[in-house]
Amino acid sequence: MTPLFGAVFDWAGLGPILPPLVIGAGSIYLLLPRPRPYPKLWGALLGGLALLLAGVFIVRTGIVHPETILFYAFSAIAIIAGTLLITQHNPARAALSFALVVLSTCGLYLLLAAPFLMAATTIIYAGAIIVTFLFVLMLAQQEGRSNADDRSREPLLATLTGFILLGALLYVLDLSYGTSATSPATREIDTLLADTHQRLNEARAVSGQGSREELAHVIKASEDLLPRYLAALHKPQVRWLDLPDLAAQIDRMSLSWPSVAEPPRDAAEQAAELQRLRKAVADLTPDLYKLAEIGEEARKRLGEQLACLQPRGDRIERYSNLSGPSPAVELTELRRDEQGRPQLPTENSAYLGRSLFTDYLLPVELGGTLLLVATVGAIAIAQRRTYPERPL
Amino acid sequence: MIPVPIHHYLVVGAILFVLGLIGFLTRRNLIVLFLSAEMMLQGVTINLVAFARYRGNLQGQSFTLFILTVAACEAAIALALILLLYKRRHSLDVSLWQELREADQEPTLDEEPLPPAPREEPSPRLLPAGVEPTHPREPSHV
Repeated sequence: MTPLFGAVFDWAGLGPILPPLVIGAGSIYLLLPRPRPYPKLWGALLGGLALLLAGVFIVRTGIVHPETILFYAFSAIAIIAGTLLITQHNPARAALSFALVVLSTCGLYLLLAAPFLMAATTIIYAGAIIVTFLFVLMLAQQEGRSNADDRSREPLLATLTGFILLGALLYVLDLSYGTSATSPATREIDTLLADTHQRLNEARAVSGQGSREELAHVIKASEDLLPRYLAALHKPQVRWLDLPDLAAQIDRMSLSWPSVAEPPRDAAEQAAELQRLRKAVADLTPDLYKLAEIGEEARKRLGEQLACLQPRGDRIERYSNLSGPSPAVELTELRRDEQGRPQLPTENSAYLGRSLFTDYLLPVELGGTLLLVATVGAIAIAQRRTYPERPL
Repeated sequence: MIPVPIHHYLVVGAILFVLGLIGFLTRRNLIVLFLSAEMMLQGVTINLVAFARYRGNLQGQSFTLFILTVAACEAAIALALILLLYKRRHSLDVSLWQELREADQEPTLDEEPLPPAPREEPSPRLLPAGVEPTHPREPSHV
């Protein structure tokens, strides 16, 4: 099962996502063109606020690095220009904002180590396609106000649809890639594991020679581990992980915690109780060990399911190594740079060409054919013919 | 420590995609519709390139090149079609073509009239030059 289909919705996970989404939807709704438009200032203010909140809540990052700053700048420009594109009355200005979207996307490509794509996109999109658009706009420009530019179809419903889709996407991203701050299930199992290991260490330290207080402390602290494990494994958020077998293992462990009541007065009874406690702690150690194993297993399954980039071993290898490591290579086996990202070749265009002409030779041929057919089709469509004039 | 984790790029891609979707659903200008669709493609390509970066291979980048190719073809065909449609109706409004819907669909009508276009300031004109001053004509001896 994948996280997408097994994910259980809870409002707590939506908490940080919701405010920027709602404010952004309001901003787009206010800014969309309509015969009597709302003041632009309100929409712009709301949009800025939504962008700020999204930056703080959704893509927060703790480190300040030149790359982080560039990422923020490029994505902010892309999103603002995208908003301008869909809210401009004047289609020529919309085309220019699209050029801005494309250029900042090219900046993001550069950050993602794809300089050839950056150059190709700048030339093809920001050069050729936008210029063609502007030509067509000049051929088909209308004077004054027109229904096409000053009205929107169903602005409220469309904004709702779009932002509900965005909410769903962000929620799934949160589930899949969320750091500890946003993935409660992982965080909970991590704390449980840390606690178990601490108890295990304490139990090892005091087993056999500890004083009464130490032994009693270990036993008391270990008492709540079992119910916490059961609660964590039965959470709805992790139900899709097939954890019940682990829970059943815990159910089978009948841990009998010795009662740690008031210390007995009698010296002989005290000695007997100390022996009893020591034996109990010694018995406790393998159980704790077992619990830690179960926790590790649960954490492993959670990690496997959450890391959507994890390869599956049973995948057929279709690609050579010429496009980089094949999808079957484990993520841990990739060569990484000093920042922890997988390494890409420096000669981007040379390696891209090698990949295109080995692994993707057939698609390249198909792409060329498609271009040819499109050219022929465009010429055939745009031929000058006379049509009977039809009044509006 | 990775400066920008992968899901940040995915968030930006998702936002661009959704903005394009909203533009495609609401706008009525054929050309803006088309630009919105291209913006959705941009969101998708950001995802692909980011996956390629964090997986350490070039497959996402190759795929993005094919998206570029298809986008160029699409632009050629779509602009030719838009010109054709404009020739027939003399407007870029999509709603003029709503008779292409299924037969039982209600036509959407614009109820609120458009406000009149703001009157443009007349462009400045040069003042007529002053009357030619009188000056005695010299008899020519040519």
